[in-house]
Amino acid sequence: MKKALFILLLTLSYSSFSQKYFTRTGNTNFKASVAVFEPIEATNNSTSVLLNTETGALVAQLFMTAFQFRVALMQEHFNENYMDSYKYPKAIFKGELSNFNLLKVNEKEKHTLTGILTIRGITKEIKTTAFLKKENNTLFLKATFIVSPKDFKIEIPAIVEKKIAENIEVSINYTLNEKE
Amino acid sequence: MRNTMLFYSLLFICSSAIFGQDDLMEELNLETKKIVTFNLPAFKAMKIGNLQSTKVGGKGDLYLYVSHRFGPLKDGFDTFFGLDNANTKIQLAYSFWEGIQLSISRESYNRTLAGALKFLLAKQSNKFPLTIAGYSTININTLLDENNFPELKSSDRFSYANQLLISRRFSENFSFELAPSYVRQNVQNLNIVSEARHNQFAMGFGGRVKMSKRMSLNAEYIYNLSRPENSPFSDAFAVGVDIETGGHVFQLLFTNAQSTNEPAFISYAEGDVVFGFNIVRVF
Repeated sequence: MKKALFILLLTLSYSSFSQKYFTRTGNTNFKASVAVFEPIEATNNSTSVLLNTETGALVAQLFMTAFQFRVALMQEHFNENYMDSYKYPKAIFKGELSNFNLLKVNEKEKHTLTGILTIRGITKEIKTTAFLKKENNTLFLKATFIVSPKDFKIEIPAIVEKKIAENIEVSINYTLNEKE
Repeated sequence: MRNTMLFYSLLFICSSAIFGQDDLMEELNLETKKIVTFNLPAFKAMKIGNLQSTKVGGKGDLYLYVSHRFGPLKDGFDTFFGLDNANTKIQLAYSFWEGIQLSISRESYNRTLAGALKFLLAKQSNKFPLTIAGYSTININTLLDENNFPELKSSDRFSYANQLLISRRFSENFSFELAPSYVRQNVQNLNIVSEARHNQFAMGFGGRVKMSKRMSLNAEYIYNLSRPENSPFSDAFAVGVDIETGGHVFQLLFTNAQSTNEPAFISYAEGDVVFGFNIVRVF
């Protein structure tokens, strides 16, 4: 009986904090191109994102090997030579949307998104503006931010140094649905 | 007792608020476990040395292969360790569809024209342990002279090889491949081979050890199960290094076969060690 009560309370306490929005097909894109040289950009269409709409806490992860490039060989070099994807298969983001209120999302489009991005086991603080929109039970989230290969100690050989941008623009475009 | 329970529940509520991001991440970890993630290729190039690897070029990628196999090292300074005599092969490979690669080539050895097809059957992932590819090639020997062989039929110029390529990348730095092979030789010169074996079965073994991000040590051995006892030919092997520089892979190797085409090196490896290289360029 007591056990049942405990479980009930636990469930209640948990559910009151568990309104969540989720996607497994989020779009994350980066552009590391330098004008004149061949374009270096890739898209990941399987980013997993989870947002707690009570607290505004937002977490995301993606597999580095799921980035698609224009040339398949570029993808292989990205993973083998630059990102060490065998050792560090995932990129992880842990953060929050400040002053998030699900009911008032459409009143104020811009939100501050802050958090910690972990790539190759190295962390970097991210702060950017996220654009949010809600339609029925779907939440649209868009943002861009800049990272540098140096931030994550990515070694770039001298011969290709000029071909890879120092500032890489990362764009995120996530369509989140209410999680059951 | 009830109070204790309440206390724990309250604690849970509080903790989930404080450690919200970590709990959320745990929940997300459970979700991403369901995602299938493919391993990176077991080999850098389409060949380990002579033996085909399980690698198939991406859709729309054009590969140019230039291969040289020099003369026997034992010829010494007379031929500058074989460098005076070279078998040259030029090959183009292209993938019109994802996972299917077509190639055409010409090599000096027997002035051979060859066409080949390689296709991926399975890719190593967190759900499946192996990469499996099929490989099939037709070779046409254009050197056979009708003046020397008056009864020569055009079908006699053909030889074939069919291989199943099975690889596993055991770790970041170690990959291994098995290649059960079937070779068909339409004609056998009985002045050279003691008895005709038109259908030959072989088992190829190949592997690589990555020494750095852009360099690996490769080795292969192909055991021919159908070779007659007093055959003048040997089982083919190759040992070499891969050096990758962006769009190129340089494969420098030592082997005991002159030809780089499967029906020839599986059946007719001469046995004398030669130096050779493959240069791979992707467009």
